[in-house]
Amino acid sequence: MKLPAYLSAAWQYFFPAALIALTTLLFFALRDYLDTTLVALLYLIPIGVITTTSGFTPGIISAVFSFFAFNYFFIEPYYTLAVHRPLDLVILTIFLVVSVVLSRLVGRAQAGLAAANAREREATQLYELSTALAGLHGEYTVAQILGKRVAALSQGEYLEVNIAGSQPVQFGMPSTTPPNRPPELSIPIQAARSTLGEILLWRSKPPISTGETRLIQIFASQAALALERARLAQAESRAKVLEESDRLKSAILSSVSHELRTPLSTIKAAASSLRGNEVGWDSPARVELVAAIDDESDHLNMLVGNLLDMSRIESGALKPKREWNILSEIVGSVTARMKYSAEEHKVEIEIPESLPFVPVDYVQMEQVFTNLISNSVKYAPPNSLIRIRAEVEGECVRVQVSNQGPQIPPEHLERIFDKFYRVTEADRVTGTGLGLSICKGIIEAHGGKIWAENLRDGLAFNFTLPLTWEGSPPPQLPMDTEVE
Amino acid sequence: MSAEPHILVIDDELQIQRAIRTILTEKGFRVTTASSGEEGLALAAASEPDIIILDLGLPDMDGVEVCSRLREWTQTPIIILSVRDSERDKVGALDKGADDYLTKPFGIEELLARVRVALRHALRAQKQGTQSKAVKAGDLTIDLVWHIVKRGEEQVKLTGTEYKLLAYLAANHGRVLTHQSILTHVWDPADADHTEYLRVYMRQLRKKLEEDPERPQHILTEPGIGYRFIADE
Repeated sequence: MKLPAYLSAAWQYFFPAALIALTTLLFFALRDYLDTTLVALLYLIPIGVITTTSGFTPGIISAVFSFFAFNYFFIEPYYTLAVHRPLDLVILTIFLVVSVVLSRLVGRAQAGLAAANAREREATQLYELSTALAGLHGEYTVAQILGKRVAALSQGEYLEVNIAGSQPVQFGMPSTTPPNRPPELSIPIQAARSTLGEILLWRSKPPISTGETRLIQIFASQAALALERARLAQAESRAKVLEESDRLKSAILSSVSHELRTPLSTIKAAASSLRGNEVGWDSPARVELVAAIDDESDHLNMLVGNLLDMSRIESGALKPKREWNILSEIVGSVTARMKYSAEEHKVEIEIPESLPFVPVDYVQMEQVFTNLISNSVKYAPPNSLIRIRAEVEGECVRVQVSNQGPQIPPEHLERIFDKFYRVTEADRVTGTGLGLSICKGIIEAHGGKIWAENLRDGLAFNFTLPLTWEGSPPPQLPMDTEVE
Repeated sequence: MSAEPHILVIDDELQIQRAIRTILTEKGFRVTTASSGEEGLALAAASEPDIIILDLGLPDMDGVEVCSRLREWTQTPIIILSVRDSERDKVGALDKGADDYLTKPFGIEELLARVRVALRHALRAQKQGTQSKAVKAGDLTIDLVWHIVKRGEEQVKLTGTEYKLLAYLAANHGRVLTHQSILTHVWDPADADHTEYLRVYMRQLRKKLEEDPERPQHILTEPGIGYRFIADE
């Protein structure tokens, strides 16, 4: 039963008085049958009950009250506080001493029990907090849990938990903004080497007790431990990522230095033989060598371009400069430019005239088609067909670049878009192993998806591109059709 | 203009300077070089070159800024040199008044072709009013006076916008024209962002004028920059 504070205080004093009065009434009725000494002993029972239930002070009050009632009603002469018989005086004195001692003993035991209970409650709360904090990795979640526990414990007006590197967590109870005064309690969240944050509590009534302060301090140190744990875990996973990227970097370096050296060797050999006058001015070899220098420097340029693209994709700096474009124009200019490199293959373009505008970066999409077509050229046998198709599929346009090259084992289909991933031995085909992963980076930056699939007679690269741009559909243009 | 056209090369890379100077001198040009934006601006004012070749990646100042400072007082053709993937800078410089661009690494034929086109346009700009009357490109003839476009002997029927677009391209044949400059010139400055207009009309024009519209010979796309019309020299 929970009573308002003033009622419970009144009850604290009313209950002993009532009980003593009731007891007195009962003894008074039985006065003729009871011995005075027995009455004195019997009075100790309600005093004990009162001290147990209501505490030390009501116990003492009821002892004194009983003393007077006993004297007034049960010691002759009745109805006066005077004492005639010396024995009665002794009884009275003993009664007073015993009842006060009893009150004190029972009261102290009572207080000890309450303290033990409080300690147990604290221990439970602490246990709950530390279980809740275990295994958390984010500063913010730690702040939230800590805040929730402190709020439940303190019942203040407003609570704020600030942790460095995370946004503050606020609990308004009941006010929703911090009161316009300094907080009544501010406890730092202190780790071994630095202060990680603080707990601010506003509560003017009732004042914050030292017990509460101590508990919140313990909470804060628990939170500090959890935060340090979280930071260690983060540092560890960062270290793992670094290690991984280090491994990747050395893979890149070895692949790149191999790839870059190949054209460089050709250029160096050709240029030095031209310079050394080893080749006569009119020799047909001269033309060959010059052509080799020209071709290989283009190749080198492409490799460097791929590397730059990749690093841009990795760093997230690849932002498409979107415009409404006509897909067939992009494909057309790529196939025109690749006329020579794809001359051993038949390139077929099936893009319907009615295909709407696509919101893409022209240059980046050229890159995608260039990489997909040159991949097909590299792996598909000469005189085979490379087909480029596009069609609208729901909210997207779906593009397919297919070839009649060898199929890829299903388990490799996804991994071919990884950096430096090759199905065949690296020595057999030239290239950085970056082409497809660049395509993936570009398509994903456009909000699309890319995947490979085996066809009955070859391999297809598919990708989708969203047709809407910032929510707007492709524009419809008013055309002038009138001929001059 | 003196007998040998004078070219100012502003580029901080000495190897590039050396290569360009060697080749252009061989081809009968007089070449001056500068290694920084400030030096380039000073030399441009002092020596009044016929063409300026300007690298966008200079140590002391932004190439685009050099471009606009040059344009404050001279109409000398400017050819931009820059690396791949800096379309934004290229377009910025072209819209600030540069005449053309070359992407490093470039072939020397390309450089010479750009220089020739730039010289021709500079010459035409000097002799005001001598706009070429007709432009020939393969079997195409574009009569800019009578607004007649012929493919072989047959007249090609173009809409008003198509003709305006073609005429602008043909009058500037050999030069790159940015999306923005075409849109503001043929349409309206307010339409400068609507590249889709261009895409559509270019497709129409190619269909009417090109042998193989998918592999155009005359109306070339400059990826990320604009278009270039190739005519007979």
